[in-house]
Amino acid sequence: MSMLSSVSIKTNRRSYSGFGASVAALARREFRDALSSRWFILFTIAFAVLTIGVSFVSLSGVGSHGFSGFSKTSAGLLNLIMLIVPLMALIAGAGTIAGERERGTLVYLLSQPVSRTEVVLGKYVGLACALCCSLCLGFAVSAAVIAWRAGGVGVAAFSLLIATTCALALAMLAVGLLLSIISRRANVAVGLGLFVWLVAVFASDLGLMAGTVLFRLRVQDVFALAIVNPLQAFKMAVIVGMNASLDVLGPVGAYATQSFGSALPWMLWSVIVLWTVIPLSLGVVLFARKGSI
Amino acid sequence: MRVARAMIPIFMLTMCAGALGASTEEIARLIDAADAGATIVVPPGVYEGHLSIKKAVTLDGDGRVTIDGGGEGTVLTLLAPGITIRGMTVRGSGSGVEREPAGVRAETGPVVIEDVRVEDTLFGIDLREAPGSVIRRNVVRGKHLEPGRRGDGIRLWWSHGCTVEENDVAGSRDMVFWYSEDLTIARNTVRDSRYGLHFMYSHNTHVSENVLSNNSVGVYLMYSNSITLERNRLLNNRGASGYGVGLKDCDDIVVTSNAILANRVGLYVDNSPSSADSTGVISRNYIAFNETGLLATPITHANAISENAFVENEEQAASHGRGDLSRNDFAVNGRGNFWSDYAGFDGDGDAIGEVAYEPRSLFFHLLASEPNLRLFIHSPAQQAIEFTARALPELQPTPILTDPSPLTALPITGAPIEMSSHGSRAMGALAASLAGVSALVVLSLGRAPRLAPAGRPIRATGKQEASA
Repeated sequence: MSMLSSVSIKTNRRSYSGFGASVAALARREFRDALSSRWFILFTIAFAVLTIGVSFVSLSGVGSHGFSGFSKTSAGLLNLIMLIVPLMALIAGAGTIAGERERGTLVYLLSQPVSRTEVVLGKYVGLACALCCSLCLGFAVSAAVIAWRAGGVGVAAFSLLIATTCALALAMLAVGLLLSIISRRANVAVGLGLFVWLVAVFASDLGLMAGTVLFRLRVQDVFALAIVNPLQAFKMAVIVGMNASLDVLGPVGAYATQSFGSALPWMLWSVIVLWTVIPLSLGVVLFARKGSI
Repeated sequence: MRVARAMIPIFMLTMCAGALGASTEEIARLIDAADAGATIVVPPGVYEGHLSIKKAVTLDGDGRVTIDGGGEGTVLTLLAPGITIRGMTVRGSGSGVEREPAGVRAETGPVVIEDVRVEDTLFGIDLREAPGSVIRRNVVRGKHLEPGRRGDGIRLWWSHGCTVEENDVAGSRDMVFWYSEDLTIARNTVRDSRYGLHFMYSHNTHVSENVLSNNSVGVYLMYSNSITLERNRLLNNRGASGYGVGLKDCDDIVVTSNAILANRVGLYVDNSPSSADSTGVISRNYIAFNETGLLATPITHANAISENAFVENEEQAASHGRGDLSRNDFAVNGRGNFWSDYAGFDGDGDAIGEVAYEPRSLFFHLLASEPNLRLFIHSPAQQAIEFTARALPELQPTPILTDPSPLTALPITGAPIEMSSHGSRAMGALAASLAGVSALVVLSLGRAPRLAPAGRPIRATGKQEASA
């Protein structure tokens, strides 16, 4: 229902002439669609409830004594984010274009005076805004709990956590969008999204752990292999931002801190940015080339 | 700075030192003129050069005297028992390690050094064979050197029966005690240094209410016996070693009512106690938010570890190397420790759990043999491993320790754990602004766009089910 209510792209060329304007129009449409879709509301509520839960549990009973460094609360939130946010973003991205293609509205959309690049970017920007809003709402309630229970995480550290989480969501959204572009049916795209989620969250880490044990990988190899995973890059970026050092991550973290020093945050952030830019560009290219819609 | 004559005490016969570039020779002349036991109030000013005191006098700078060694050698040397120096700034020692230049060095004792500010020196206050001395309320700031080239902030060498209290040391190597017995070490602050308090072969000492933060190690006791650590605060010591408290080959140590917070390792025990008939007592400490709460080498035994609060340490207790901690007692007189991750229950209301506390984490078990795996901590993969181990009991490792009677309520430890919890207002503001911004975005972007004059929104007629 709401998916279609929004096919109200202006045909008026005077008001929407430029590239940016088209992208903005498409983004607004996508944003409104996302807000009114069930899965999105569900995810927003789930994320908010879970962050409240984590904040409560980690601050309960014994208090936190106003620690501003990397605390139990941050660790709990980190775990939750790594589990939920990629899932949310991948599915949001995966559903969008494949869904419209399946319902036939994509043809309709492309018959409007917008280019395919504009469609991809518009959808990406709209979903990105919606995701960030949803995450910010979740973090807002969590911050309220932390403020109420006095302590746990410092404001700077928490802001950094929010920013990095949004960056992770954007990267995973780009991957989801790419999956959506290459899949013919929405179910396939969502299935692929779940598969990617499973690989990124569990399989790659568990595999790398097994490899570390079996092949006695050197620290530099473990580090190099680990940061390819955007989730590991995200985790390290948060920890290095809060702690100025990765020493909580043992020998590999100490190696990274010593070898790369102040370049480390940039490295980790660039991994996340690459995971955004590459899938998105690939998606734009593939969507433009695709003969059938 | 030039100082009015009127401020110079009348009993001073010699001329003032207010003039720029006054020399320490003027202080030496004052000392020569004084009788042993006299109190000399040094005229305010900056004195350049070095000073050796060979007479038992009290030198009082009243906080307005600076002695500047000019970056060479030891600035102030005390060579007679009974000297007191008070209320002055001593700065600018040499920096080469070969002669260990210091701000204040005593080569005999007892001496009293109080309210002295020592800055820009390699070693700060150095007592060599100065028994019975008092070092009180001094501030020591080391030279800005890389950690490996620094000297000790305060060092005692063969100086028994000294009191070291209320000193504030930062940016040095250690506050270190060599071969010195019967000391009182209280209410000192050491931060941003290597070892906060470092004991080498120094026995029978009481260490209380010190605050040791952001060092590599808070307190390191090595080969030192009969030491009591009480009500100290060990905070955020996470350098290369990263211990809050380290005990190496020490007999009859009592560690009690300390707050051990956010260190890499809270309490590290290596073969302590080491003699056959000695014991270690570790009780009523508040050990919280460390990466590892208690780390002990498998050889460690005969410690009585009870009524401590182990709160939210990432890993509550671990063995340093293959083995476990089972040769220590984790309960005394039927009272064990409080473990924040204890999942048992208290059936009869005596605040003691009915099920033993036996931590057995597969992830940390794997970590013990493959430390590189720590990279994967705080990730869903870690949870997956723990979940697997719970689902498949044959994968579960043997417990690292057994606490037969864990406490189910936080014990009263007497540890200095109070911390300011400011910042909650800022956090509230952050929460409000986050909610506000996202609501604003939703409201402004989420409503339908205004229509262009000629436009009409195109409504889909058919209802289609959105696939979730």
